[in-house]
Amino acid sequence: MTTPDPDRLRCGRTTDDILDQVADGRGDQRDGHQQSCPHCQAVLGEYDRLWAPLRTLAEEQVTAPDGLLDTALARVRGAVAQTDYGIIDGPQGVTRIAARVVVVTARESAQEVSGVRVALSKYLHPTLAARPTHPHGRHTLPDAGPEVTAGVAGRSTAIEITVAADYGHDLLELSERVRAEVTDRVRALTDLEPVQVTVIIDDVLD
Amino acid sequence: MTGDHDALDEQADRWLVDKVRGGDMDAYEVLIRRHRDRIYRIALRMLGDSHDAEDIAQDVTIQLWTAVTGFAGSAAFTTWLYRIVVNRCHNHRRGRRRTRPVLDTDPAPTPGADDAAITREQSAATLRSVAALPPPQRAVLVLVQMEGLSYREAAAVTGESEATVRGRLHRARKALITDMRSWS
Repeated sequence: MTTPDPDRLRCGRTTDDILDQVADGRGDQRDGHQQSCPHCQAVLGEYDRLWAPLRTLAEEQVTAPDGLLDTALARVRGAVAQTDYGIIDGPQGVTRIAARVVVVTARESAQEVSGVRVALSKYLHPTLAARPTHPHGRHTLPDAGPEVTAGVAGRSTAIEITVAADYGHDLLELSERVRAEVTDRVRALTDLEPVQVTVIIDDVLD
Repeated sequence: MTGDHDALDEQADRWLVDKVRGGDMDAYEVLIRRHRDRIYRIALRMLGDSHDAEDIAQDVTIQLWTAVTGFAGSAAFTTWLYRIVVNRCHNHRRGRRRTRPVLDTDPAPTPGADDAAITREQSAATLRSVAALPPPQRAVLVLVQMEGLSYREAAAVTGESEATVRGRLHRARKALITDMRSWS
């Protein structure tokens, strides 16, 4: 003797199928059997009643509370305001490289050039970095000291490096070596294209 | 007509996403505001708690700014957004396990209350029933039953097969109908 299947009606239909029929919103689309079967009709009616709160919930218009996302958007805006990014498109998506990454890369590579005693870096806000420069390449900012600055737009980056050199080097030749080293290293490590590398020999140290 | 509208919306989303990937914060704000109700609604239905849903919506708003650079564009933006929000809800749930039964503190509808109050309470109770489902079942139920996604779309969001989605949806429905019967 087999145990009756609790999910199967006496007419042979299953309650599982009827549940899916009701939940899919097809409860009123009854086939020929269901139109005359009291077992199916009873279960259809019962499930339709029980499922009503789910239908109501699904139909509710839910709106986010006013101002809910303002704080979060303000936080994103704040973070963005402090960061300047280079954008590299790739087949799998976009890579963003912050300007400060370029700054560090440029500083480290300049530091390794023979004849450079020290290269300092400081991130400048893009609006400041974009200000006109002195004809000789110095920043017009009164407090501009030895530093590396970088501004990026799209795939291009412009870098300014301020270094203190060891005494006794040909400074023009030194600046060319710094420019070449920085350009190669930034291009290799970040895939950004340094379109302008300004080298400022700020001081000569014994 | 709806399909055309959806297609145009998707086009607008992609246009905005391209701008965002270029660092356009204004485009990001527009994109977020276009989808804020959707983000909040999914979180509310996944978690059954308005405060948790607000937390999730704010987290997602911050997270999306960096995550959007990883949006490959091979799927609809909304599908990708669903995935972000659902996964965030799963993590939120795991990080903040409830220590009380979800139904204990909420009174049943009282005799004599007006219809609107009953409807509100019934909706809240239904939300709690949904929130009590195992996370994989809950996600599929919210996506298909409430958000109206197809099995294929829900499969794309959850990373499961369509057959798995169908199975989970059916188990969720059975669990809910059993729960609903206990209210009677």
